[in-house]
Amino acid sequence: MSQEIAHWLDNLLEEIEGIEIRRKSSRRVRVDVPADALPALLELLQGRAGYIHLSAISCVDWIDDEEFELVYHVWSYENHSLVSAHIRIAREPGVYLSVYDLYQPAAFFERDIHEMYGIHFEGSPNMGKFILTEWDGPPPMRKEFDSEAYINEHLSWQEYNPPWLQALIAEGGGVVIPPEEQRFSRKKS
Amino acid sequence: MRPENYEAQRQPPSNEYELNFGPNHPGIEGNYALKVKLHGDVVIEANADGGYLHRGFEKLMEQRLWIQNIALVPRICVPDPSPMELCYSMAVEQLCGLVVPKRAQWIRVLQLELSRIAAHLFTFGGHAATTGMYSTMYWGVTDRDLLLDLFEEFTGGRVYSIYNIPGGVRRELPPGFLQRVTETLDYIESRLPDYDNLFFKNQVFVRRAKGVGVMTREQALAWGVTGPNLRATGLAFDVRRDDPYQVYDQLEFEIPTEESGDAWARTLVRRHELMESIRILRQVIDALPDIHGSIRAPIPNPLAWNVPAGETYTRVESSKGELCYYVVSDGGPKPYRVHVRGPSSMHAVQVLEKLAIGSRIEDIAQTMFSLDACPPEVDR
Repeated sequence: MSQEIAHWLDNLLEEIEGIEIRRKSSRRVRVDVPADALPALLELLQGRAGYIHLSAISCVDWIDDEEFELVYHVWSYENHSLVSAHIRIAREPGVYLSVYDLYQPAAFFERDIHEMYGIHFEGSPNMGKFILTEWDGPPPMRKEFDSEAYINEHLSWQEYNPPWLQALIAEGGGVVIPPEEQRFSRKKS
Repeated sequence: MRPENYEAQRQPPSNEYELNFGPNHPGIEGNYALKVKLHGDVVIEANADGGYLHRGFEKLMEQRLWIQNIALVPRICVPDPSPMELCYSMAVEQLCGLVVPKRAQWIRVLQLELSRIAAHLFTFGGHAATTGMYSTMYWGVTDRDLLLDLFEEFTGGRVYSIYNIPGGVRRELPPGFLQRVTETLDYIESRLPDYDNLFFKNQVFVRRAKGVGVMTREQALAWGVTGPNLRATGLAFDVRRDDPYQVYDQLEFEIPTEESGDAWARTLVRRHELMESIRILRQVIDALPDIHGSIRAPIPNPLAWNVPAGETYTRVESSKGELCYYVVSDGGPKPYRVHVRGPSSMHAVQVLEKLAIGSRIEDIAQTMFSLDACPPEVDR
């Protein structure tokens, strides 16, 4: 993105109240806005700046702040730059507006986020289940959902002790480390 | 999925009926289903149904160390796993501020383009099989195997190479490897006229694919279509050129396009792209011997690696379209959040649902294969 376009974009975006613009690289711009200003921002980006491609909507669960962060990544085929618009919404009740009327790909991402995080998007065409059709537990991508604890509670581990391993251990060979210590991922930081 | 959930529904007598297309069906890619409503043999409603492949990668990645996830990411897309590794590695590099050595960047391009050729050959094979041309399928899979042999030689893995790591690549190329790549590329190029005669110019395929699953450029842009499917509508957009990564800005290649936006155009774009990939690889083969130096930037002890807090969005052009990773770190030993945006999350769901409507039942497979939809990317 040339300096001229970057300057023009900055001026354009300053029409939005409470906006914070950060240029991360020549083709990446980070924008933080209050949640209620996002539809206006996206309308501006799409209608006047050519950001017609919604690349993705990402959701991050900031459980300690009691907030969800929604990130809308939009790309311009003309400026060759990607704007990531960040908003924060309250974790409870976890409701936000759909941007389907601006970007049709939003339907998939909103449905996915609804399924995985339980955020309801008002005005989205389909909030039905897609991947977790037969799951009736809590939305699994939320930070409070511990998949390992869920497995230990609902499923049982299989014993794995084949003859070759028994023979190896009887000979005093093989690497025998208690499973708890083998798993680096379990260690708390 | 459970049988008890499928109750026979009593319908009033009519010409309309419902049919489950998938999840186990030779005309569908991967374990994926399309629930279609038909009038006669014309589709009047289509609903994509995923979930048969869900492995919860995004959740798993939050529970594993940064380096452990390298073994997970390629499994998100089976036919074209290399871009997944690269996209994740690039995200970690950006968060850590790692500068990848030049030689590693060139080797990465070599790996990516080999993977692209393998993926396209696989897709041609699958696509040809939906029109009953099994010889092309055997050819495609056999020729792909030659590339898998190369992967096995330089990465150790045939399908999931797990070769890119944050900071560079895992191993140096074996002696004489580039010569063997040249030989394989020459062979594949010499095969292309045969593929043309057997498949691309074959009237059985042309008549089955032309005019099927047509989308205009406006529709493609509105539906978030990317990759070869977008280029088949005439828009020359490629992440490799327009948002370059690694050393793609130093390479010369064309971006093939077609205008008609149908199944035939999409497949033809891939066929031209395969040629461009060979062209890129030849440039890499010429350049690599003169690029010396390390293949990996120094990284901390991977088992005690705390990536600095931050967030980044990386994009790569996979054989299917725009592949993106949104990675968030809270400064800890594991990612706080990894969001995978596979190109097929558009192509296999909304686009397929829309294009299927109005087509005949036998053309659903044509549409799906010509979109090169990869269900594991949707399910993640």
